[in-house]
Amino acid sequence: MKEEIVRAEGLRKTFSLSKKQQKIEKTHQAMKVAVDGLSFSAYRGEIYGLLGPNGAGKTTTLRMLSTLIRPDEGDAFLCGKSIVKEAQAVRDCIGFMTGELKLESFFTPDYLFDFFGMMHGMAKDAVAERKRELFHRFGIDRFAGVRVGDLSSGMKQKVSLVISIVHDPEIVIFDEPTNGLDVLTAKVVTDFLAELRGMGKSVILSTHIFSLVEKLCDRVGVIVEGKMLREGSLAEIMDGRSLEERFFELYLATGGVLQ
Amino acid sequence: MKLAALIKKEFFRFFRDPKLIATMILPGILIFFLYSLMGDLLWSEEQKYDFKTVYVGGESAIIQPLLQQAAVQLTGQEDWTLTPAEDVEQAKEAVREEKATALILFDENFDERILSYSPESGERAPQVRIYYCSADETSAAFYSLAISVLDAYESTVSNMFDVNLSDEVFDFSSEADVLVSLLGGFLPFLIVALIFSSCMSITLESVAGEKERGTLATVLVTSVRRSDIALGKVIPLSCISVIGALSSFLGVIFSFPKLMGISVSGMAGAFGISSYLQLLLSVCSVVPFIVALLTLVSAYSKSVKEASAYSGVVMIFVMVLSLAAGIVDMNGLWVAFVPVLGTVSCISRIMDLSVTLGMTLLTVGVNLVYTVVLIFLIAKMLSSERIMFGK
Ligand SMILES: Nc1ncnc2c1ncn2[C@@H]1O[C@H](COP(=O)(O)OP(=O)(O)OP(=O)(O)O)[C@@H](O)[C@H]1O
Ligand SMILES: [Mg+2]
Repeated sequence: MKEEIVRAEGLRKTFSLSKKQQKIEKTHQAMKVAVDGLSFSAYRGEIYGLLGPNGAGKTTTLRMLSTLIRPDEGDAFLCGKSIVKEAQAVRDCIGFMTGELKLESFFTPDYLFDFFGMMHGMAKDAVAERKRELFHRFGIDRFAGVRVGDLSSGMKQKVSLVISIVHDPEIVIFDEPTNGLDVLTAKVVTDFLAELRGMGKSVILSTHIFSLVEKLCDRVGVIVEGKMLREGSLAEIMDGRSLEERFFELYLATGGVLQ
Repeated sequence: MKLAALIKKEFFRFFRDPKLIATMILPGILIFFLYSLMGDLLWSEEQKYDFKTVYVGGESAIIQPLLQQAAVQLTGQEDWTLTPAEDVEQAKEAVREEKATALILFDENFDERILSYSPESGERAPQVRIYYCSADETSAAFYSLAISVLDAYESTVSNMFDVNLSDEVFDFSSEADVLVSLLGGFLPFLIVALIFSSCMSITLESVAGEKERGTLATVLVTSVRRSDIALGKVIPLSCISVIGALSSFLGVIFSFPKLMGISVSGMAGAFGISSYLQLLLSVCSVVPFIVALLTLVSAYSKSVKEASAYSGVVMIFVMVLSLAAGIVDMNGLWVAFVPVLGTVSCISRIMDLSVTLGMTLLTVGVNLVYTVVLIFLIAKMLSSERIMFGK
């Protein structure tokens, strides 16, 4: 029996749009429903992929799961803790990786790793041990003393990644894991995600890249316009065809329009 | 533990960056040189005067030394003295021909008559006559110097019966009073303005800058308490701003006497140690308040640019309040409870030596309470997703 580690129940998030945003979105409505009653489950030791086009609400969902923003309705439980009522506890059992969380370019990876270790309340030796392991694993050793601002963007991503998992979280939440990475760095990252799975950790990632989901994910949720179109194991969703084919089929079947 | 790490990071950031340290310390140095230079220009202008012979007819044991002292101070001619006039008519002639600077004639028994004179008696008051030549700059300068000394003495005379005066004591306190009231009017404003700008330069960069660059969000996804993040900003930034405030403060303290044409030790004599300590205390207590205020503004803003626009508005309020306190004499306990105004009025009271220790402590306490309230509000803001992550 698989252990459920993430359970989202009817997550809903609405943003109020300013006049300027209304213009950009080409709408006259003052409210935008970004996520509309989303429910899904992810299991321990698996990689769960949220697949959807631009503006589907993937990032918004992940931000809710990682307690950066609160849902208007619904709730989600990570490691059994509610993101609404026990946000503090949730933060210690997750690692959140996204492009919008930046590292101060003035500091070195070495310093920041220690700093964020302490932010999670870790002991000094535990941080040092983990640093040795992760820096070696990602080839950051050589750059440990270089200011983040002077690193290449690929190296910056790797540093962000190791820092987001400094506290060895049970759940890793990853928004667009391979965005902006070259094929080599992207492979390092995807290999690592698979490795995390091997260690019994759980991963939730978002992407619009079909091949990434096919290669990596155990379960998939297809979202369009904030709604879950279909959820299930990768095999169930694909149903013997390619993911891309299945996606368009689902999309058109629910009244989606291709411009 | 987490708070300690947050504070350490802020200090590390500051002390490893020579640029930032320079921006903290430079204002003080700049003020010192600017004011010293202004003082030099101002006072060297008057040192041009070179008094020639000034004849004295009659005698006043009180006024003559005062006059002599004032003249030496103005001209810097250490060995200059008043010359007793042997022949009054000859002396007048010398002044008319601009060979001598002036002639002063005291009525007979001037000192005694002054002391025993009463206007009700109907007698003619004892007189001082000064012959001078207003076309001659030096002569005119001496005349106005003499007039001011005599005026000062005249006011002493009327006070004398009231306060059982001794010469030296009065002299000393009168000099200090003039100096102190000048400082009292202008310095508080200057100090607050300097503190505000030094707080602003680092707080905006550290708080609004971090928010704009997305590095604050990275800390927000960890399990650190929001109040710790707020404290982790306000405490170190206050300490650093105190350095900046002290630098500006020292610059003012050391250059102001020069600007006023008096010695640093003269000024130190006018205030006691206790005044200096109280000054330091009230200055240091307003720093965390201003830092917290600017942190709040920065946390609310989306970018450094927006934060500096808001801070500009806050700055205008602070400046108006501190100017108001310098100009208008405000009484009443309520003043102490108005942020900034309380501190500024406390500083000006320290300056004019009318402060009580209780008043200073009240001001410090009020500042602390306001700071705590602001920290609470900052923590609230850090928890608000609309403010932290709204687009
Ligand atoms: N803070 C916000 N204020 C207003 N609207 C927002 C906000 N955040 C997201 N939205 C809107 O909500 C919708 C979903 O956005 P979201 O970023 O979750 O999509 P996404 O699936 O991550 O898209 P992408 O693939 O482009 O990253 C979009 O229409 C977006 O414009
Ligand atoms: Mg996104």
